[in-house]
Amino acid sequence: MDFEFPKEFDVIIVGTGVIESILSAAASRVGKRVLHIDENEYYGGQWASFNLEAIMKLKNSQKERIANKSDSNFLSFGNDLFNIKNIDYKFHVLPKKNKVCSEEKDKEVVDNNLQEVSQDDNEETWDEELLIKTSRKFNIDLCPKLQYARGNFVELLISSNIARYSEYRSVTRILTWLNNHLEPLPCSRSDVFANTRVSVVEKRMLMKLLTSLNDEEKETQNYESKTFKEFLTDKKLTSNLVHYVLYGISTSSDHTQCKEGIQKAKRFLNSLGRFGKTPFLFSMYGSGEIPQAFCRLSAVFGGIFALGQPIEGFALNDEKFKSLTVRSQTIKAEHLVMGIENLPKQFIKSKKHDYISRCILITNKSVLDCEKEQLTLIFYPPENNKSFTTIIELGYLTGTCPNNVYLVHLIAKQDTSPQEDFKHIIDKLFINSYHEMAENNHDKPHILWSYYCSINDSNDVELTEDLPKNIFVCPGPDLDLDYDFSVTKAKKIFNAMYPDLEFLPRAPDPEEIIIGDDEITEEAKEITEEAKEITEEAKEITEEAKEITEEAKEITKEMTEEAKEITEEAEETTENEINDVKNEKQETISEERQHTVE
Amino acid sequence: MASRKKTLLKVIILGDSSVGKTSLMNQYVNRKFSNQYKATIGADFLTKELTVDDRTVTMQIWDTAGQERFQSLGVAFYRGADCCVLVFDVTAPNTFKSLDSWRDEFLIQASPREPENFPFVLLGNKVDLEPRAISAKRAQQWCQSKNNIPYFETSAKEGLNVEQAFLAIAKNALAQQNSTVDLYNEFPDQIKLTNTQKTSNNGDSCAC
Repeated sequence: MDFEFPKEFDVIIVGTGVIESILSAAASRVGKRVLHIDENEYYGGQWASFNLEAIMKLKNSQKERIANKSDSNFLSFGNDLFNIKNIDYKFHVLPKKNKVCSEEKDKEVVDNNLQEVSQDDNEETWDEELLIKTSRKFNIDLCPKLQYARGNFVELLISSNIARYSEYRSVTRILTWLNNHLEPLPCSRSDVFANTRVSVVEKRMLMKLLTSLNDEEKETQNYESKTFKEFLTDKKLTSNLVHYVLYGISTSSDHTQCKEGIQKAKRFLNSLGRFGKTPFLFSMYGSGEIPQAFCRLSAVFGGIFALGQPIEGFALNDEKFKSLTVRSQTIKAEHLVMGIENLPKQFIKSKKHDYISRCILITNKSVLDCEKEQLTLIFYPPENNKSFTTIIELGYLTGTCPNNVYLVHLIAKQDTSPQEDFKHIIDKLFINSYHEMAENNHDKPHILWSYYCSINDSNDVELTEDLPKNIFVCPGPDLDLDYDFSVTKAKKIFNAMYPDLEFLPRAPDPEEIIIGDDEITEEAKEITEEAKEITEEAKEITEEAKEITEEAKEITKEMTEEAKEITEEAEETTENEINDVKNEKQETISEERQHTVE
Repeated sequence: MASRKKTLLKVIILGDSSVGKTSLMNQYVNRKFSNQYKATIGADFLTKELTVDDRTVTMQIWDTAGQERFQSLGVAFYRGADCCVLVFDVTAPNTFKSLDSWRDEFLIQASPREPENFPFVLLGNKVDLEPRAISAKRAQQWCQSKNNIPYFETSAKEGLNVEQAFLAIAKNALAQQNSTVDLYNEFPDQIKLTNTQKTSNNGDSCAC
């Protein structure tokens, strides 16, 4: 790499997670000089997508950097608190075709119809070798997200014009686990009416409720300290309807407060009818595309990007961030933004935090077969003290897996361990082992590969008060379905850095920017400059003329005054003289008279 | 070949920094050239409509936006490319040496269905400048070794060969689309987010 970084920036961003990337775009967009670096060779950090081979290479823990102890003003990046933990993966298919296994399958084939024979063919095709061979067809998210069609995030993508860097696909169906099987969640009016499992009375009740949720204040009056479940139960809804609304439409759990539950339900209902049958979208090629879209905008507006950088640490001065050291270059900036995994440990107050349990499966077919490929969201309700689980099943059309397999994501708040948190679901929905495969159970999808891990939920982590005021920390992934937390956090940090600037104003379309007109622009500038100067000059001349006129006026005035005075004086003098003469005359007369009298 | 309603070709331009990627696309689309070199700012993608064999084609040419400088082009940049244009500077030998790694990088990141048949086009830019470091013969040899990639010598500054080169790019991209079954429609019904989007209840509906 023969390029050097410029020596000074307005903001340096370390880490390319979603929040860091949104901030990068926002700062660059308003003309700030941004240096955006990442230690990884890829974008997204814990929000990234990986191909099959790459995700198996992720390590449980990364090396902890050794602090440069000789200088208390130089801090090393990174901590070991927020690494991915409990990574455990395996292939559930044999490395190569196995005689024993196929023999058993042959027995099944006889009993089954043609369609299933062809499915068996597929099964046999997917051995470990072939999965590895098609590794690059996989885009496996560590943190898969869906987008509410009218949510804050989609609106931000549209208003900022960043939407042009990514494509989406509608979630085509929402299922929920109810009465021991998967069934479609009625989420719109037409769904409610089309649903055959809901009785006419229930339909009426559900419609009434969905309509009444809009009148939030009236509805929640007496439920300020109660749960949404209590609210729904008091509405005398049947248990099925409570299930639909609580675990489906409002994506809530038993303990969700009434107000929050209603807000979440509204968020769901408001996003219906914009892009597809359900309120949700999924980004093509996986959620790892999202940070890259924001980074692209940042780059288009001049942000400098460097992945795979051996970031060393940063220097403080006067309790403020001063400069960053990377590849033995020292780079100054006014602000430093970083992902929480890059923060020196000393600034983290609470050492304990929540985890998100993750399970990723590659399966041979959909959980609920259908003629057309479906993009499925499953809400799996809390069960026997197990957390509410979100399941997203992706097919080939999402660009995240090869044809004829499905990629299944399970996400829940971690209770014990990923394996234990999801065991009840895996057992119910999938075929897990060779033993089970041999049994006569062809309805359920077979697991070809599984991956478990724990991701940190660092959103509630408290930081110490001595964190320098010009350092901003971005938390990692969260449990929300969408990116609302990330947008809110990014906006907050942006406003702290640049309180007077607009957050992600609309970027012009390429047609609106004309590149290469520098010379013409220069000329135009010069002409404008000249014109300005001439105007200035003209103004000055006018000013001068005015002054002269003023002066002339004054002089005239003064002269007139003088003339007047002179005239007056002259008049006075004449009068006086006359008087004098008169007096003299009188005197003379009176003298003469005296003389005469004498 | 029946003409489709609308053909959109995504073309990406790769090559070392300062070989003239932005200038070439700007010369082609806007017929303008700026001599002042600065790392690409504001260059995103440019769109041009052209007619190839009686077909109206919209070519969308994507710039690297400077992210190539520290090898930081994310995989998202490569998604769905129909043609890859490789550019080097005929006066700078290093930019020629990098071509192999740019080609490999593209094939890895974009992972096209048929890597050996994917359309590349090579442009040797800045032929208006002296002294020349890479001869046309050497560039052509490289092209031959890579399954006969078409080669053009261009000058973005003087507009030399630029039009011809991009026409060839469009033709090759189209040929690729026609020969590979459904390549263009690999992922149909994708949604582009816009304000005006109406409720679509397209082919996704299913009875289950």
